[in-house]
Amino acid sequence: MAKKIGVYVCECGNNIADNVDIDRIIKTISPMRNIEVIEKYRLLCSEDGKEFLKQSIKDNELTHLVVAACSPKQHEQTFMNVCLAAGLNPYLFQMANIREQCAWVTSDKEEATDKAIRQITAAIARVAYQEALGKREIDVSPDVLVVGGGIAGIRAAQVLASPDRKVYLVEKSSSLGGKVKSFDKLFTKMESGSALIENELKKAEQEENIEVFTNSEVEQILGFFGNFEIKVVKEATGEEREFNVGAVVLATGFDLMDPKELPQYGYGKLEDVYTSIEFEEMNVSGGPTDGKILLKNGKPPGSVAIIHCVGREEKGYCSKVCCMYSLKFARMLQDRLPEAKVSQIYSDLCIPGKAYQKFYDETRGLGVEFIHGEKINITQNGKGITVKYESNSGQGGDLAVDMVILVPAMEPGTDTNRFAEMLGIPVDNEGFLAQEHQLLAPVASSVEGVFVVGCAQGPKNISESIVQSEAAAGKILSTLVPGRKLELEVKTSEISETFCTGCKTCISVCPYSAINFDDSRKIAVVNEALCHGCGVCAAACPSGAARVKNFAFTQIYQEVEALLK
Amino acid sequence: MENNKNSISVLVIGAGIAGIESSLLLANSGAKVYLVEKASYFGGNIIKCEEVYPNMECATCMIAPKQQELLQNENIELLTLSEVQEVQGSVGDFAVKVKNKARYVNLENCIGCNECFGPCPAEVDNEFEERLSKRKAIYIPCPGALPNAPAIDTDNCLRFKGEDCQLCQEACMFDAIDYTQRDEELELNVQAIVVATGFQTYDLTQVPQYGYKKLNNVYSMVEVERICASNGPTEGQIVLRDGKTPKSVAIIHCIGREEKGYCSSICCMASIKQAHFLKNKIPGLKITQLYSDLCVPGRVYQKFYEEVKESGVDFIRARVNEVKEQGTGIAIKYRTENGKENTLNVDMLILAPAIEPGIDSARLAEILGIPQDEHGFFIEKEPDLDSVDTPREGVFIAGCAQSPKDVPDTVAEAEATVGKILSLSR
Repeated sequence: MAKKIGVYVCECGNNIADNVDIDRIIKTISPMRNIEVIEKYRLLCSEDGKEFLKQSIKDNELTHLVVAACSPKQHEQTFMNVCLAAGLNPYLFQMANIREQCAWVTSDKEEATDKAIRQITAAIARVAYQEALGKREIDVSPDVLVVGGGIAGIRAAQVLASPDRKVYLVEKSSSLGGKVKSFDKLFTKMESGSALIENELKKAEQEENIEVFTNSEVEQILGFFGNFEIKVVKEATGEEREFNVGAVVLATGFDLMDPKELPQYGYGKLEDVYTSIEFEEMNVSGGPTDGKILLKNGKPPGSVAIIHCVGREEKGYCSKVCCMYSLKFARMLQDRLPEAKVSQIYSDLCIPGKAYQKFYDETRGLGVEFIHGEKINITQNGKGITVKYESNSGQGGDLAVDMVILVPAMEPGTDTNRFAEMLGIPVDNEGFLAQEHQLLAPVASSVEGVFVVGCAQGPKNISESIVQSEAAAGKILSTLVPGRKLELEVKTSEISETFCTGCKTCISVCPYSAINFDDSRKIAVVNEALCHGCGVCAAACPSGAARVKNFAFTQIYQEVEALLK
Repeated sequence: MENNKNSISVLVIGAGIAGIESSLLLANSGAKVYLVEKASYFGGNIIKCEEVYPNMECATCMIAPKQQELLQNENIELLTLSEVQEVQGSVGDFAVKVKNKARYVNLENCIGCNECFGPCPAEVDNEFEERLSKRKAIYIPCPGALPNAPAIDTDNCLRFKGEDCQLCQEACMFDAIDYTQRDEELELNVQAIVVATGFQTYDLTQVPQYGYKKLNNVYSMVEVERICASNGPTEGQIVLRDGKTPKSVAIIHCIGREEKGYCSSICCMASIKQAHFLKNKIPGLKITQLYSDLCVPGRVYQKFYEEVKESGVDFIRARVNEVKEQGTGIAIKYRTENGKENTLNVDMLILAPAIEPGIDSARLAEILGIPQDEHGFFIEKEPDLDSVDTPREGVFIAGCAQSPKDVPDTVAEAEATVGKILSLSR
């Protein structure tokens, strides 16, 4: 079929007309090959302009359209909609920006007109080689897999489950509740952690559509957004379950750094040096000391030092919650051992937000001592312990205490890396899972449909972890709507079977894990459901097999050639 | 509530980064969104920044695609120059009255060519630019502001003061200027409400000891954001009021923290970011940060701090005792933690003010029947457990209206309100 290209030049009121000689454009372009019609119009984006354009496309039976006007950022979608209304495939349309890139950047009308002609010629050369593309949709499962049964995982399951959406909640230990259930008190309200978890679990139990797996591991996650195939194995019995979900929420939590790695703190060598988790356990009735704060010799301590930021320097990050729970420890000590002297040795007090400083001020008011010191050395001194401290500015001293509580840095939970590898999600140097965008997509991962919430992506308090779970739920509920299909990116990448040599370069550069290797045919295959059309594979492919639809080499060469002619 | 999720309507108050994110997610789920913004433009506080930490991305470049997506989304009705007047009813059935102030510029006709500004004879301080530059009575706050159309400020327009001026209308080629527009009252029915009214910064004249508005070379951090901005009053040239480039800068953290009684979360990082930016723009610039405690929480912020410190920025833990003029510069007397008194002389002093809830919070709290704390922040239904819910069912909060917070936490809360709202309707 012969190509019939229509070119429409917008005057944009006087914005283009004043600085670009539109009549010269028309005179130059109209004799070119395949130009069926070239016309100017006062304001193409106006209602009248759109109607005129629609009618003209129909009347001239155009096969391709070029609009020379403003930036495509402004009105590409407007004119694509006109194409649709006129029965022309909107991907057979190209825009030339002769306002921002010509009329508005020079006062030399000749120069602006020359450049406009080049840009329009390039758009014409390109559009002739563009292909008609169509919207594609796939069926999706609305169900969700939540990995990790701590506070974040429980909340995610609660918000997501509904009569038309099932949630599979998989926990590797024997019960739900994560770390929080073993905390006797939580800041700032000093309420019980186990009571909080019980309450949350009660709410979750009211949801019929949550299936809980304890003592279970997720063995396999295959597939892509909307269609993941999951395999879960019960550890004791080896019993396997397979099911499909549309999305995955990773809430694999945190562990604490082992202070034995830092010998200056004396942990593991000195009797009464404890980690914060050990101190938490000491406070739980039914725990090792049945809720009593005791030294190894069975006596209550007369003085306690709480050492903040253990491992902060080595790790290179602030674990965010330690200052606040150290203040909580001081409250617990004051409550149970009112005679005990409590000292906090800190480097920077990190108590952000509207509520925390008040808690600090109150704790300080109780007679808790705050000492600034970065460098710490802890040694045995007879029956007691000596804590030597020095700040970076050289201030320092010694403190004799009966008990030391170390507050170690938070690390990602042990399973985190296994999931990172299984799913192809990047991790940072510390092993925390990376977000899709640190600021704008805080709970999405680079793998579409896989969300990362809570401490698996960095240290967080309970409130922030819960918010992230609700955020992941928000993202999932707004995209995986039961009964609705998922619309895919149109301009995806494709890899030619004929030209692919199976070198796998594209697989290593794809930021969305959208390319798989077909072992039987020894070629790379694009999963169009995951591809965002970024074009990294097309740039990296040494054999020219990968290309992005409507960014094919011919199209780009034609465009560049016309531009430089 | 109705079962069909497509029929949900939601009111979102405040079109900053939180309101934008909530609206986009809700609209993509099929909900109808009314996004109410009191200003003539949208994007909130973040569009005042040239770059944002920790990756020093251009803020407007980061937000603009979301703004464009929002403007093109047919499920979202953006109501600029609008304020919520009344809210009746309960979750699933709120009756809302919104006052939409006339823009006097027809958004359908206006193409944003700015031809109308030139002839306007009324010139006033530009509030968006922290009064560091002038604007006309018909204006956009800064180049690139969206929607790409000006508004007439009737307080300063000669015509609205009774004079016979129609110069802007004569300059417009598109019949976009319409003096006959009238304020309107809209009645909306929505199932849920998101309050995302953001923050403002502490009024630095409340702490006169730091010399703000009294000494020439003392700036607020917000002013410095605009001075750094390539679309700002100096087009990104970092110059003092006398036109000279500073050779030394001090940034004092935590201004107003003691008076307010809370830590504003983001000021340490924002101060470090400004140091990073200024240092890159002005080779050889000496920068000193005077702080009390560094609040750089989480897995990435400390690295940014260390990088900036290594680039030669001084960090001194100190208490500032006095700020006064010394020649053309500023002399800052401070005491370090080991009790030493020192004086620092700089060309430019930047103050990092506390974060406060937006000025409208009290009015909205009353209209919506939701409580505020002693600082004016909205109180969540259950602190720590239900951070985006309010005690009034169906009314949700996100971002700095609830407590000072950074961009990722704000966006997460916005997404969380969507999780809560879409799970209401099951």
